[in-house]
Amino acid sequence: MRFSEFVGHEDAKLALILNAIDPRCGGVLFLGEKGTGKSTLARLFKEIVPEGTRFLELPMNVTEDGILGGVDIEETVRSGVRVYRPGILERVNGGILFVDDINLLPPEMIAFLLEVQDRGEEIVEREGMSLRYPSVFIMVATMNPEEGELSPHLLDHFGMCVLWKGLRDRMDRMDVMRISSEEIFQRIPKTDEELRRRIELSRKRLGDITVPEDIELYIVQTCMENGVSGHRADIFLFYAARAYAAFCGDGILGREHVDAVAPLVLAHRRRMAQQMEEMEEEQEHRHEHGDEGDSDTPPHDTRPKGKGLEEFGSADSYRIEANPKEDVFEIGTTFRTRRISFKRDRIKRLALGRRTKTISKGKGGRYVRSVMDPREKDIAIDATLRAAAPFQSFRRMDATYPTAIVIKPEDLRFKRKERRMRHIVVFVVDGSGSMGVKRRMREVKGAIQSLLVDCYQKRDRVAMIVFRRDGAELVLPPTSSVEMASKKLKDIPTGGRTPLSAGLFEAYKLIRRTYIKEKETRFAVVLVTDGRANRSISGLPIDEELERIAGILRGLSGVDYIVVDTEDKKGFLRTDLALKIASLLNAYYFRMEDLRSDLLADIARFAKRNEEGVRCAVPVD
Amino acid sequence: MIFPFTAIVGQEEMKTGLILNVIDPSIGGLLIMGERGTAKSTAVRALADLLPEIEVVKGCRFNCDPDGFLCTECREKLLKEGRLERERRKMRVVELPLGVTEDRVVGTLDIEHAIRMGERRFEPGILADANRNFLYVDEVNLLEDHIVDLLLDSAAMGVNTVEREGISFVHPARFILVGTMNPEEGDLRPQLLDRFGLCVKVSSIQDKFMRMEILRRKAAFDDDPEGFKRAWAREQEELARAIMEAKRRLERIEITDEVLESIVTITSSLNLDGHRADIVMMKAARALAAFRGKERIGLEEIRDSAGMALNHRMKRLPFEEIGAQEEKLELLLSSIGDGWR
Repeated sequence: MRFSEFVGHEDAKLALILNAIDPRCGGVLFLGEKGTGKSTLARLFKEIVPEGTRFLELPMNVTEDGILGGVDIEETVRSGVRVYRPGILERVNGGILFVDDINLLPPEMIAFLLEVQDRGEEIVEREGMSLRYPSVFIMVATMNPEEGELSPHLLDHFGMCVLWKGLRDRMDRMDVMRISSEEIFQRIPKTDEELRRRIELSRKRLGDITVPEDIELYIVQTCMENGVSGHRADIFLFYAARAYAAFCGDGILGREHVDAVAPLVLAHRRRMAQQMEEMEEEQEHRHEHGDEGDSDTPPHDTRPKGKGLEEFGSADSYRIEANPKEDVFEIGTTFRTRRISFKRDRIKRLALGRRTKTISKGKGGRYVRSVMDPREKDIAIDATLRAAAPFQSFRRMDATYPTAIVIKPEDLRFKRKERRMRHIVVFVVDGSGSMGVKRRMREVKGAIQSLLVDCYQKRDRVAMIVFRRDGAELVLPPTSSVEMASKKLKDIPTGGRTPLSAGLFEAYKLIRRTYIKEKETRFAVVLVTDGRANRSISGLPIDEELERIAGILRGLSGVDYIVVDTEDKKGFLRTDLALKIASLLNAYYFRMEDLRSDLLADIARFAKRNEEGVRCAVPVD
Repeated sequence: MIFPFTAIVGQEEMKTGLILNVIDPSIGGLLIMGERGTAKSTAVRALADLLPEIEVVKGCRFNCDPDGFLCTECREKLLKEGRLERERRKMRVVELPLGVTEDRVVGTLDIEHAIRMGERRFEPGILADANRNFLYVDEVNLLEDHIVDLLLDSAAMGVNTVEREGISFVHPARFILVGTMNPEEGDLRPQLLDRFGLCVKVSSIQDKFMRMEILRRKAAFDDDPEGFKRAWAREQEELARAIMEAKRRLERIEITDEVLESIVTITSSLNLDGHRADIVMMKAARALAAFRGKERIGLEEIRDSAGMALNHRMKRLPFEEIGAQEEKLELLLSSIGDGWR
């Protein structure tokens, strides 16, 4: 297929064309749902750039070495001379880098890519190598926002962003400036050859375009009115507008050029939170119109039920919606949370994130010890040399080896490494009436919001379950978007009875479902409640039901539990029921005020156990 | 090609913070906190152009100060030859990139040498390059924990001691740590935070005409970096000269009891840990006075350095309003020096 045969998406095509004219435009990100042709168009980009321009695609399973370059250790040992294997960022210099599904890469790697692109130079400081080489390239990336977000910080590095169809339709009602597709369609030549010539010509014209002062002012004003942070937008908008003027064959930069490309440059720079909110409101709006039925009837639950738990079969999900009479409390003040991390397990992972230590499958991480296991990829030179040392005088008698030290395959030792990983943090939130007493829910929401901020910084994924009235609902499936979670948190209503076991059961189902797909995942279930369970879902007595479900949860591997007790401890009716639940779950137990960061507690390295055997302070490894 | 320091529009506090560290390296570095896209990295990289020369042991891979703590190699040389030759070298900005590996930070066994010659030789790492230079960490809050530990260790001792892979080596590692971070992306560990002498906060410029100027200069630079640099050469030279002059005058600046008292009044009224704040504030105020061509530290210098020295050291007490400490500082600053002439 040819570039010019691709139907529609004039804005996306324009973005590519502008980058081909002037690589200073800063690359393009295509944001859209699966199967909408994003990647197809991105790959067609190579048809319209000068012949011989390199076009590299970043493989999904790329390693840090693959990106940054590194020592080819086997070759080095064999030849006695350090052999360097260049990374993609070096090879792509002067060309185009295509990154499909960029949001699925580890954030650290995205940061490398964008940092190098920004600087136009790659600095290698790895494994004894210290090199600098130029790395100037146009980055074209795609992402499906349903599969995870990019942080605004990373988004800001992209010169342009195109909201793909579907997604764009949803945002239509928002105050998003729109590209005039018709006009651009008219301007794009109808064959690839012609387009390539036109780009070539525009590129030569760039330097001759006059930039009047009032247009500079107009660019700056446009950015400021859109509330962008920093000054990158101004610069990208200038380059994009100038490239567009060149493309149109105009000699003077005008407002029409700025207006035409502003949507491409500014779409992703408006504050994300604001956008989310608007999208949400839109969805709610639709929901109201599409679903006029009796909201008290629980919708049919199509999700699979856990096996062997038939007695909990009645624990179907209910839609948690606020009655007009019920309260929806605001989020109270937030604070910095203490450091929370868990014990390391034995599973080896390609770790992402910043919370709990794990054995690392990849290159990064701290070298903790050497092992003989060749499945580890990095050779530990120190241990290898030590292993080879005793045989040197013997081996050197054989003159076929030109090197001073003779290393044989059996000497090889490998590095075992450790780094930090993220979790899926499942918030199970009590929305029952007792939580609303004295507006306690405000503080509770403030505490959860504080934990969410911590989750973002540790790069955890989060999910949220609310239980109240007659059941529990998964209001947010696992996502990297803490902003989404925050929005859901705000909407949690308070009122009704406390079906605590329904909440725990919903968490169980979620963990089972996710575990099937992702065996390496570790979960942290954060149960936020005052513990006053008073609604059974199986007909068993409440205590017995709780004990049984807690037993099932305890049996899951790779799950840690935290209980946050929201009961007012100065109150008249102090029950400490949440503490009992914590001991049933073998959970870490906090009162709400214990969640605050406090230097002394952070230093304490031991889990204190209280009289009931509950761990009351989280150990810092 | 690096954008000239003097061509950076606005962000005066950030620029001052960097310059003060050149004038007096013992201030202990600078942390720049702020939004994305506010010329943080540009400013730090641009600093390289303005740095003075220092005297080092000739040929030393570790920038050893001939009159200071010597590395293992220089010590052996001194023993063998009885004296050390000297040379002058320009200070540099050494970068610690995010993807750095542990062995590149502290240095490691020179593999090539080991395999060819069968000898162990130490290959210097970034800490060696950074000795007596600026060490710049972009997005310092995203640095892996074990790398942060290495930095903290050598920052505390001023020495990098390597005992690994069968080699043992010691060299001086005193660097001026400069970090940038966007606080939305995560916190910095308190120990590391405290290591930074000064801290400034930067935000987007909201003045239209300044932003136009930024745009213009950036475009002009991209178009013709060489020509742009030439156009700014005079400003660059003047600033470099002013910095050298301030360095020379630094020792002669008088520190009166009034100054010390004012500083202590401020720091003791706030909720701070340790005494680093007092010392840093005093040094920053002195460097500022030297830069401004004054004979002694005035009230302005104390006021202007207080924020930089205290920004990252003021802790919010539980349940205290955001900004309460800052307000308190404002109040303190307006009341000091009442008894001054």
